[in-house]
Amino acid sequence: MALTEAEPLALPSGEPAAANDSPLGVFTRPRTATGWRSWISTVDHKKIGILYGATAIFFLIVGGLEALLIRAQLWAPRSTLLSAENYNEVFTMHGTTMVFLVVMPIGAAFANYLIPLQIGARDVAFPRMNALSYWCFLAGGIFLNSSWLLGGGADGGWFMYAPNNGVQFSPTHGIDFWVLGLIMTGIASTVGSINLIVTVLNMRAPGMTLMKMPIFTWMTLVTQFLLVFALPVITVALFLLMFDRLFDANFFDVSQGGSPLLWEHLFWIFGHPEVYLMILPSFGLVSDMLPVFSRKPIFGYPFIVFSGVAIGFMGWGVWAHHMFVSGIGPVSVTVFSLTTMFIAVPTGVKILNWTATMWGGRLRFDTPMLFSIGLITMFTIGGLSGVSHAIAPADTQQTDTYYIVAHFHYVLFGGAFFGFMGGFYFYWPKVFGYRLNESLGKWNFWVMLLGFNLTFGPMHILGLQGMSRRIYTYDAGYGFELWNKIATIGAFTLATSVAMFIFNIFWSKKKAKDLPPPGPDPWDARTIEWMIQSPPPAYNYEPIPTITHVDDFWYRKYGETEDGRLVRIAKTEDLVQAGDATDVHLPSPSYWPLVIAIGLPFLGYGLIYSLWLALLGGLVIIVGIYGWLLEPPDDPERAHGHDHEPEELPTGDREIEPGAEPLPTRDKEVETVG
Amino acid sequence: MKGKHRLRSLFGGFVVLVITALVVSQVWASIFDNDGKPLTTLSPRGQYAQTIQNLVSPVFIIAGVILVLVMGAVLYIAFRFRERPDEDEIPAQLHGNTVLEIGWTLAPAAILLVVAVLTVATIADLEAREPDAMKVQVEGQQWWWAFRYDLNDDGVYDDPENDLITATELVIPEDTVVEIYTTGNDVIHSYWIPELNGKKDAVPGMRNFWKIQADEPGVYRGQCTEFCGLSHANMRMLVRALPRAEYNAWLANQLEPAVEPEEGSLAAEGKDVYLNQLCSSCHLIRGVNDEKVADPESGVESLLVSGIAPDLTHFSSRGTFAGSIFNSHYPDKPGATPEEVAACRAGENVAQNCGDPEDEALPGNPANPAYNVDLEDWLRDPTVMKPMAADDGRGMPNLGLGEDQIDALVAYLNSLK
Repeated sequence: MALTEAEPLALPSGEPAAANDSPLGVFTRPRTATGWRSWISTVDHKKIGILYGATAIFFLIVGGLEALLIRAQLWAPRSTLLSAENYNEVFTMHGTTMVFLVVMPIGAAFANYLIPLQIGARDVAFPRMNALSYWCFLAGGIFLNSSWLLGGGADGGWFMYAPNNGVQFSPTHGIDFWVLGLIMTGIASTVGSINLIVTVLNMRAPGMTLMKMPIFTWMTLVTQFLLVFALPVITVALFLLMFDRLFDANFFDVSQGGSPLLWEHLFWIFGHPEVYLMILPSFGLVSDMLPVFSRKPIFGYPFIVFSGVAIGFMGWGVWAHHMFVSGIGPVSVTVFSLTTMFIAVPTGVKILNWTATMWGGRLRFDTPMLFSIGLITMFTIGGLSGVSHAIAPADTQQTDTYYIVAHFHYVLFGGAFFGFMGGFYFYWPKVFGYRLNESLGKWNFWVMLLGFNLTFGPMHILGLQGMSRRIYTYDAGYGFELWNKIATIGAFTLATSVAMFIFNIFWSKKKAKDLPPPGPDPWDARTIEWMIQSPPPAYNYEPIPTITHVDDFWYRKYGETEDGRLVRIAKTEDLVQAGDATDVHLPSPSYWPLVIAIGLPFLGYGLIYSLWLALLGGLVIIVGIYGWLLEPPDDPERAHGHDHEPEELPTGDREIEPGAEPLPTRDKEVETVG
Repeated sequence: MKGKHRLRSLFGGFVVLVITALVVSQVWASIFDNDGKPLTTLSPRGQYAQTIQNLVSPVFIIAGVILVLVMGAVLYIAFRFRERPDEDEIPAQLHGNTVLEIGWTLAPAAILLVVAVLTVATIADLEAREPDAMKVQVEGQQWWWAFRYDLNDDGVYDDPENDLITATELVIPEDTVVEIYTTGNDVIHSYWIPELNGKKDAVPGMRNFWKIQADEPGVYRGQCTEFCGLSHANMRMLVRALPRAEYNAWLANQLEPAVEPEEGSLAAEGKDVYLNQLCSSCHLIRGVNDEKVADPESGVESLLVSGIAPDLTHFSSRGTFAGSIFNSHYPDKPGATPEEVAACRAGENVAQNCGDPEDEALPGNPANPAYNVDLEDWLRDPTVMKPMAADDGRGMPNLGLGEDQIDALVAYLNSLK
């Protein structure tokens, strides 16, 4: 990784850089650090992380309203609130929104914000690609949802099985929007995952070997590998479907020899790793939060890490458990039944290790801890119901009933989302410099726990009593009325708890003026991101710390006395970096990632409505790419005046003994070529 | 004063206890009481559903025990190791215990290994072919089911000479293994009779093996479980298991062409409506519009009708129609006495002696008198009765029939025993 470049890459040597300061004569390299322009041109991983998070919370509201519509419709038998057509669109878009525009981007928000902080880097490896990733995600999200205004959303379910996804069976443009929108968010995730893999593997602080990384970084690394390998599969499927729908191809047309099972396989080879890549970042957050609030290190760091890696590998061998009743044959059913059962083992290991982390600790029940414990217990329920449908014969009764709906909400809401909620409360003071109100936070947790269980608990019963999924209505007299009513009450309770969280954000911000700032380390935390200011300075670290332990910051604060007792050996104030560096050089902002992303929806609308529009979109993208390439990687006016002789930079690959001579820290440049 | 207070709190505690007990018993009953739950998976009434139940019940119990243990452990630990204000000792920084961790990696693996062995055995059991079973091809289309009985057991399902084609209701003999082969004629559907077995997808271009068996005569219901478009919710299944003799009589009747209506009767008028008002361009009634026409080039003979709508040859031998969501006959009254059943069959005071035909959970019984209200509404405008996409050739369009035509058609359909 060329982290430092003597000259801008695009320029012939010797030519003065200023000559190309305004590539194509459109933009000068932006340099604002405040105001809205700083946000749309930012390449700072922290700002991009915040953008990801804010956008995901917006889409959470959209997806949540869709969920409320679903639950309102199912309040009573033969309800006429939504037509069959609208209901099918709403549940399709609910699933799609929650998976692609909420859970994945919240994971990306934490990953973007935290990984450079947790590994002691100043930014990600490719800052402009990071911005591109966010803007493509936003473009895809807006494009996907614009279908509501242009004739209705997709109506084939988030799994979009063929041939029901074909033009013959879904003649509106909803599925076209769905296909193209997901291709755009797929670009975002692919770009982001490559970026983060390179970042984690190359930019760790001196001394931070892989086995000293915080577990969130570990789990996110696994997640990014899953993304890199899973996204091409769904992209292929999406392209095939796009050709079928827009250009009359026959990949899924049975009368022309196409195969509906081809779509199922492609979708789930992506779709199952997708489940793990939604849950693993949350597992990482919990693995970092539990030790803080238990005041003990994570129990069995290697087991936690390797069980995550094992899940990452085994996650590739279980996809067909979504297809037990599709006619894949008894041999396939048996094989996938067994692999699915045994993926429960590494998952169970995590649960038990988290429980053991709490054992013998001194537990503080702040809101992040409550959500972490919520995750352990709720995810256990989801995991156990998961085992019950790993048993293929049982799954023939359970699949496509509400039992499955209950299961995956216990996994993705009770698991992934509870972890993210804990993460929000935990990192809020670090990111924004003020704390979310604790009492409101505790209320938030309990109301969410109650609403969650009221919504999804009864669905286990509904499913086992035969209520099919994806039905816009049900009849009286099948025993479904009571539990549907309870679930609907629960859904509105759940919505209240999300509203409490959003209220807490604004209310606490208002109140924060009268409160002392939380400081760099409000939770007595263990990892190094807590030894810098809150909010962190743009350059994160100065100097880059040298790492000697897992939980390095904790070992800077605490030590053993001669009689083996643990005592505080240093005050946080003395350890915290002052945050007043003046000479650090950061990558300059850029508009080009945004320009490229703006071209994408035009390309999409063009494919649906008029190829001329696609031509325009394509031109915008090409201009964006050329602008990006010709943009000097640095602003010459802010030259930093020292040479960039190649030097041996210490990286995380070397183990550093505690108390060893401090290594020379990295050059202050973090100029990158991304 | 104090005693009064205590009494009140005692009373309050009692009330809470009673309410809790009521709620718990209600919840318990609501979960484990299978009455009035025709789709429940927890009440097997055939050997295959029972096989699945036998496998999964112990797993549910084991899972329940593990759940209680984990929950209990977490809550206990949370209580026992909570921060107390008087201590500020930093807990020992325990990093793990390899033996313990290997232990709790292997223990669940061992439990799962046992479950795995039982699972594999059950899969083999459910997938085994039965040499003497009767065979039916089950075809899903938007949004109803067609059935082809392979009467000569040749595995071929498109020779009308040797096969029987019916729709909407699958009639089987009691206590007999029926091999079913599911397929889809447009999109993927899923055939599921929870009381008899799990489900199997009906995939276009594939024939998926599955089997059902009902211990007792009776009516078994189902719901399409693979999302199949607009009216997925309105795609039901109904299996009628008959005693062997009744089944044989049913079969013999089904093999006959349609009954010819008496000349000059209302039903005869209905037949004219059927032939002249587009009904016969999609539906088929054997003996009425099943003439075949040879293709002038290839010489291959094929039916004139499109066959994308249910076969109506013996419409009135079914109790339900339109994907089994509406009743065309009165249902039996739940818990009826033999006298009431007989009276209902005879058509005496149907409101008293038969079940409520508008009760969605009660399926019509073809032995009972015809119930025409829903059928008339359906013929008036099917699109308001069930969401369909008739403009795209999926589902029944509104034919704009007059009331006279509707009355005649209903009379004709009811004559098709």
